[in-house]
Amino acid sequence: MMEVNPAEQGLRSRFLHQPIDGQGFKELVSAGLHWLRANSSVVNALNVFPVPDGDTGTNMVLTMESAYEEIEPLAERDLGRIIQELAQGALMGARGNSGVILSQLWRGFAHAATGHATLTPEVLAKAFSEARDTAYRGVVRPVEGTILTVSKDMATAAEQSIRNESDVVRMLEEVVEAAALSVERTPELLPILKDAGVVDSGGKGLYFIFEGMLRYINGQQLEEAELVVKSLSAMDFEGAMQEVEEGQDYEVIVDFRPNGSLDLKGFYDQLEGMGTSIQVGEGDGMYRVHIHVPTENRYLPIDYAMSIGTITKVHIENLMDQMDGLEAQSEAKIELQPVEPGQIGVVAVSPGSGISRVFASLGVHALVAGGQTMNPSTKEIVAAFEDLPCDKVIILPNNKNIIMAAEGAREVSVKQVAVIASRTIPQGLAAMLSFNPDGDFDDVVGGMQECLQEVETGEITTATRTVEIDGVSVSEGSIISLHNGKLVASADTLLDGCLKFLEHAHAEEHELITLFYGADVSREEADRIAAEIQEVYPDHEIEVQSGGQAHYQFIFSVE
Amino acid sequence: MADELNPLGKIQVSPKAIATIAYNATMESYGVVGLASKNFFDGLANVLVKDPTHGIEVHFDGSQIDIDVYIIIEYGTRIKSVAASVAKTVQYHVEHALGLPVHAVNVHVEGLRISDMDG
Repeated sequence: MMEVNPAEQGLRSRFLHQPIDGQGFKELVSAGLHWLRANSSVVNALNVFPVPDGDTGTNMVLTMESAYEEIEPLAERDLGRIIQELAQGALMGARGNSGVILSQLWRGFAHAATGHATLTPEVLAKAFSEARDTAYRGVVRPVEGTILTVSKDMATAAEQSIRNESDVVRMLEEVVEAAALSVERTPELLPILKDAGVVDSGGKGLYFIFEGMLRYINGQQLEEAELVVKSLSAMDFEGAMQEVEEGQDYEVIVDFRPNGSLDLKGFYDQLEGMGTSIQVGEGDGMYRVHIHVPTENRYLPIDYAMSIGTITKVHIENLMDQMDGLEAQSEAKIELQPVEPGQIGVVAVSPGSGISRVFASLGVHALVAGGQTMNPSTKEIVAAFEDLPCDKVIILPNNKNIIMAAEGAREVSVKQVAVIASRTIPQGLAAMLSFNPDGDFDDVVGGMQECLQEVETGEITTATRTVEIDGVSVSEGSIISLHNGKLVASADTLLDGCLKFLEHAHAEEHELITLFYGADVSREEADRIAAEIQEVYPDHEIEVQSGGQAHYQFIFSVE
Repeated sequence: MADELNPLGKIQVSPKAIATIAYNATMESYGVVGLASKNFFDGLANVLVKDPTHGIEVHFDGSQIDIDVYIIIEYGTRIKSVAASVAKTVQYHVEHALGLPVHAVNVHVEGLRISDMDG
């Protein structure tokens, strides 16, 4: 349902009862541009990377801006001349694929409007048909399920509307409605959209332009994108579980059917007064509200839902209780940072869950399982970052045997990829400290490379055979210490191995020792060894982290 | 020939196969209404060709793939944007199918087609 601002009733009445000339149409184009701009991030988010066309929303806004700039200063009243200038501006500013198609649509529009002083239903219907025809002429093999299809469905709706003797406003309403339906259908026509779970971005952008015109006529705001509700299936309760805040002790889920239509803005305002982690889903007229609330508010969402509709189901759970359970599971889900288009993405190779979690907390966007004895293939590395919605990617191999595969991934990928030659986990972690997703790609890569040298790596493991390397003789089963990948000592006990490494790495010249204990070492044992190390290095800060790696009992990072 | 080794032997992809991928990608690019014969003497200028090896040239010197595309564009579209989109689309499809990087895609706009707006 559209809310109509009573103060703006005059606007709708004006468009209904007075002929729309060039100046009137200019107002509509301005409204379309504003609404498209307000929703450009929505359109950008629909990009199916890596389909070539950068950011569709941005491209369409730039194209429309160039078009509008052309007509803005004109006082011309003739509709045909205004749209001709508009089309000219769109042509000159066309950006990207969607922009080129948009400019062709305006070109068709202009051709139909030429010679007409005002916008009549006949002219508008003809304009939509010619827009479609012109757009389709520009390509040998039209791909359906795109902006082209949406323009076709809009033209069909306009042709239908003229048969029902609609006025211009009514026709525009029917065309916009058809565009909305057409956009929703695009995944059925284009499998790549369906796979990605999105609708076509160009089609959606076109819809916003004409919806903006209609919103202007109806006196609705054009500055802020509307609040949207997700479909029920898209609600992410697991994600919500991760963001439990202090004091929000209860999770409440209410299913209800509202009486009449739901005023989303007022609805969200009410919920925000009650708690956090609000999610609203909708399907078949049913709404599901998910919210975290403090103990004293736990019945408020239910009372509220009851006041505006009929409740079908309620679910309340004590979150603190659940969180205890979650923390008990060491394999709790790792939350990777999301990456935005235009930012730099990072993929790291990690040998264990604890190290993965540390990488995730440092801002890594994708992880590949792999380490000393399980080197991931080029294909696995590419697969890890191929679907990130960004075109600049940094790979941290974190093992000297994986650098080659990472280089291979760089060569194969169509993205701009840099490999930071991190030979150990601590090097990878150190590099992440200087990572900035919004920085200049070369600067960020350079900064990360430099960080590799700032950390000493120790690896403590058990020798698998008797051998002498680099002057160190090792017998099978004894503990060995590696410093920056080189064998430096052999020892009888784990503690001894750790201390020999620290000595070799000149730990006394550093300040921070981080110890990642492996899958085969208990927390208690790691704490015990850390305490012993503290005795030897009383002024150092010592951190103990679960690394979860195989083979290496301990990985040390000395900074 | 674009070569790659696999554990059983060599995989060779002929320039003609690459040209076919590039041809299909080009024909789906918005604004392109046809490919032009790359050689003036092969046919008169602006002759639209159906054979994928006309209008597309693939060079492989053992290490890098270069592709030249000769196209005819719809009059009234922004040539720069259309050409950029052709280059990106061809690069994406060829790299995706082949798994090898494309070094360059050169787009040659050989002509414009003026559609009859009243047709």
